[in-house]
Amino acid sequence: MKSIKILVLVFFGLLALSCNNSDDGSYVEPITIYEKMQGNWNLMNLRMVDQFAKANAIEPSEQNLSALFNFDVFQITFNVDAAMHPTNYEVSGNVPPIFQLSGYWELNSSFQPTSPGTIQINLYSDAQKANKTDTLLLTSVPGSNAEMEVQLIRSSGGTPFISYVFSLNSNN
Amino acid sequence: MKRIIYTILIALFVANNFAQAQQEVGGANKIWSYPVIYNYDEGVTWYFDLSTTTFAVDEEVYIWIWSPSEPDAGNWENSSEFAHLTNEGNMLWSFTFTPTEYFSMTPEDIAASAGFWMRLKDKTGAKQTDVINVSYTAFSSFYTANELIRTYPEAPTLNGGLSILFNSNLVPGFENVPSVHFHSGLNNWSILQEYQAWIPEITEKTKLKDLGNGFYKMDLIPSEYYDNIPDGFVMENITYLMVAADWVANSGDQAINAAEYIPPPPPVFRFFPLQISKKDFLGISRINNEVGINTLYYTINAGTTQITGEFNGGVSEIKGFVNLPSALQGISNINEIHVLVKDNTDRTISDTTIPLKTLD
Repeated sequence: MKSIKILVLVFFGLLALSCNNSDDGSYVEPITIYEKMQGNWNLMNLRMVDQFAKANAIEPSEQNLSALFNFDVFQITFNVDAAMHPTNYEVSGNVPPIFQLSGYWELNSSFQPTSPGTIQINLYSDAQKANKTDTLLLTSVPGSNAEMEVQLIRSSGGTPFISYVFSLNSNN
Repeated sequence: MKRIIYTILIALFVANNFAQAQQEVGGANKIWSYPVIYNYDEGVTWYFDLSTTTFAVDEEVYIWIWSPSEPDAGNWENSSEFAHLTNEGNMLWSFTFTPTEYFSMTPEDIAASAGFWMRLKDKTGAKQTDVINVSYTAFSSFYTANELIRTYPEAPTLNGGLSILFNSNLVPGFENVPSVHFHSGLNNWSILQEYQAWIPEITEKTKLKDLGNGFYKMDLIPSEYYDNIPDGFVMENITYLMVAADWVANSGDQAINAAEYIPPPPPVFRFFPLQISKKDFLGISRINNEVGINTLYYTINAGTTQITGEFNGGVSEIKGFVNLPSALQGISNINEIHVLVKDNTDRTISDTTIPLKTLD
């Protein structure tokens, strides 16, 4: 009879030993656009859109520049640090300077905004990000297809008159 | 079987490498022949409008034809003189030959071949056009069609070739006549080329080609055949009679209506985009160019900076972009550029000042 009690105790003891701490999951940061954008991108296509012509229904309103001025070998790299914070960026391919070809970058929003609105890629000449040189628009955020679209808009007096549409695919 | 496939694969591989060694200059814009229709044993001139190619205006162009036969075989890198085309000017080249003689073949063998297949090239084979097929218009059906007259094309133009076939067997009085003549005028006899039997040169000029068995053919280009055509003349018709030598018989009154005159679309010059800053590319283009206009030369003055260059093209379009972002990098205090564009005949196409937008 005593041996049965001991057996029962041992059984419960074993049950207790086999239990682990409950796994509630640890806190994980949500994926930011920096994570999606970081790395090296190839140019698939570059279009120059005449926004004035387009607004006034004048043709042609668009030209393809992909094969001109070395844009066929255009690459852009967006670098981040270990904490996924933006650092510097660089364009290679020896293309004309339609925007500052190297410097530092930052988004106006780390996450996809829930309300309609475009994410701005602000470009700076200094690491302190005090001197803004250009602003690009991220018009298509990289998803599972590893492609994104970036636009450079030329405006005067608040009215856009030209946009350059860069279609990029990831080289990572 | 395997061996054949390997041979084909190797041949394709070699042909591919071979082709890549050439500079591709593009395809012909337009091809025609004069006479419009011809027998294979008859002399003919093929015309090649190469305004859509990047051949130079004074290029020495050679024909390299491999079907129905390859007369200049083995000489790709040094074309023979017999394959040399004549430069007619304005990016038009011609090749005059008699098919049976050039290909050393009978008319029957040429008719049974795959047709006329060729490339045009420079002498050394460094440049070549796309593959060209010159089509051939067979007209043998006329011999059994019981038609008095048949024309190619049905509606001629003033400057294009015209061939008229005539079956004299259908008109009494033409049997065994020594020759048949074309007594005619443009626009209801307003501009004449009569058959004047007493003038030997006119007798010869108006004489139809005898195809045998009572069939005849007349070949002409109206603008060259008729004298004293005024500038701006619009051809509406050709009125004529086929006349036996010394007027012993005639076909009765005949007429051919001309094709509707369609003027070429006017050239259009434009800049792209319509508004620009000094950091933007400036596109310059001109479409519907006149024959022979193939280059635009630009001179852009921006403050003390001058940018010059040229764009090439052809009848359909000449287009290019100026790299203002690089040329004007670091230059401030400019709010306009002056653009002068001339063509390859030194004609001024545009002389304009374009304001530069100030960027936000």
